[in-house]
Amino acid sequence: MRHAVLALSLLATPAVAGVEEAITDHALSATDRFAEAAGALAETAGNDCTAEALRPAWNDAFDAWLGLAHLRFGPLETGSRALSIAFWPDPRGMIPRTVSGIVADADPIVETPEGFAEVSIAARGLFAMERLLYAEDLSAYAAGDYACTLAWAQAQDLARMGNAIAEDWEAFAETIRTAGEAGNDTFLSEREPRQAFYTALTTGMSFVIDQRLGRPLGSFDDPRPDRAEARLSGRALRNVTLSVEALRDLARALAPGEIPQTDAAFARALTTAGRIDAGDFSGVSDPRQRIVVEALQQQLVEARENAANEIGVPLGVSAGFNASDGD
Amino acid sequence: MPTRRGFLTSLLAASTLPALSWADAGSPAYLGAAKGASGRFSLIGLGADASRRFAVPLPGRGHAAAAHPSAPEAVAFARRPGTFALVIDCAAGHVAHRLEAPEGRHFYGHGAFVAGGTILCTTENDMGSGAGRIGLWSRPDGYRRIGEVATHGIGPHDLLRLSGDVLAVANGGIRTHPDTGREKLNLDTMAPSLSYLTPEGELLDQVTLDPELHKNSIRHLAAAADGTVAFAMQWQGEAMAPVPLLGLHRRGSAPRLLAADDGEQIAMQGYAGSVAISWDGARVGITSPRGGRLHVFGRADGACTILRRPDICGLAPSADGFTATDGMGGVLRVTDRLAPLAADPGTAWDNHLIAIG
Repeated sequence: MRHAVLALSLLATPAVAGVEEAITDHALSATDRFAEAAGALAETAGNDCTAEALRPAWNDAFDAWLGLAHLRFGPLETGSRALSIAFWPDPRGMIPRTVSGIVADADPIVETPEGFAEVSIAARGLFAMERLLYAEDLSAYAAGDYACTLAWAQAQDLARMGNAIAEDWEAFAETIRTAGEAGNDTFLSEREPRQAFYTALTTGMSFVIDQRLGRPLGSFDDPRPDRAEARLSGRALRNVTLSVEALRDLARALAPGEIPQTDAAFARALTTAGRIDAGDFSGVSDPRQRIVVEALQQQLVEARENAANEIGVPLGVSAGFNASDGD
Repeated sequence: MPTRRGFLTSLLAASTLPALSWADAGSPAYLGAAKGASGRFSLIGLGADASRRFAVPLPGRGHAAAAHPSAPEAVAFARRPGTFALVIDCAAGHVAHRLEAPEGRHFYGHGAFVAGGTILCTTENDMGSGAGRIGLWSRPDGYRRIGEVATHGIGPHDLLRLSGDVLAVANGGIRTHPDTGREKLNLDTMAPSLSYLTPEGELLDQVTLDPELHKNSIRHLAAAADGTVAFAMQWQGEAMAPVPLLGLHRRGSAPRLLAADDGEQIAMQGYAGSVAISWDGARVGITSPRGGRLHVFGRADGACTILRRPDICGLAPSADGFTATDGMGGVLRVTDRLAPLAADPGTAWDNHLIAIG
């Protein structure tokens, strides 16, 4: 118990932090966790690919994904992996259309991993799998049905990408550690990894603010609960909470010193998230519940501003010069 | 108002002065605007090896520059909706002229020389009507405003001089007004086009895309020796759309759109910042600083090479491919991979890299 208390206090107030901590404590542990969870999903699918059997392992894999989903540089960007794992938002309805189409055609491409890796990204990953596992018109499939093979293929594909990301991150960590050294064509100075992690932090926060919360919130006159993430499985709020926890952990790992304002804003946001009743954000249409979701969004905006002051400024990094300009 | 006699005298004076060339400014291969470590902005001349040949301070953040074809002179434009442009004497290292947009006009940030370098053309907004204009300025007459012609579209951004002094103009299609900054006022009805004009204002040709791509703003241009124009686009429609961001057009034929696979297109975030065609005309590249990507397409087969670099934006042809710049101080040699030519973390290179000559 004493050890646990000591470990917790160390986590809350890291004596030394920075890029190495962001690599070791954050990125590598998150990529390992996802590889493990996606592997478990594939193993489950090998035994029983029906929806009911797969749902718990799918949820575990989704949980693990949220620990690294914001690391949108390096291995997650190779071969469109991040989008292939989590294709959302989907304003054009590409996923329902593609998944239904593949099932209707009973496309044999699902039978080999090589073939499946070539299918549309809208038929791959957690959200395409969510349709098979939760959509009323699809999820009642039986063990011998085509949909079962498709779910199995999706699980195998996720496991393959999870392993590849974890393996690539081991090598990528060394690329980060040798930033600025001769022969390193990826990170041309020691500052660039700081910039990359910081951009991942702020972009990740913006994604929660603008997409995960902003899309279902819509406007007061036109709330859009139907646009919530993972609407079918009802895990929109859980995704927000786990993302915010992961982003907070990245902020702590990366920060060169104490970040009391950022920590406080994250804590307020997580408390607020705990007060939201409907896990699928259906409450955004009810003014009394909506106000809580709006408060959460505002607290995350504050956390992002605080992180800019407490992390961006001391690290000497800010949002991309050209990326944030646009012309 | 200068007299005709005065105008001719100045023309004569210009032609009898010993003509300086880009060699007098250190023979730069490229021009780029940048923010330095001190936070100040400058226009910088770069050699093909990324060495710095000159640097002239700018009063604020720049957008693009237009290089004179022979004299060591560059016109640097403020970011839109700027109302001034600076003519920089790159040999002497100072501002030689300041161009003020006429009443009711503002610059969009790009310009090009025609008529053997004697006339500067600038893309402009007629704020009252929103109609695109090309402003014409006489260099031998101290960059006096001598007229303007219509671009036959809204929101002209980049423009290029093609052989025969034909102007290619990217009408982005987006109406803005300085009163509302960069707010886009007409997204539902926007109709971008690529116009081919004479400096006298004759519309020679105009290209538009299919109606479902009407929200794809045609913004930046590059030309190949055979007259093919590459146009880079910025998507104003819904996010996560795997729309093409690059097109090729040759007068007399239909435009050809180039795209990578859906995942890569979506990763570009609907935004191409710069476009360039390699000297041999075989490859065409676009950058996305938001997506941290450079896509290089083979013109023959349309195959895409994907290169990744955060905040990459400036792109220009080089001897063996392209040279690219980014917001983190990198100047990169682009072949089938990216290799650093220079890395200066204190410098943030702005949107465009302009090849001289």
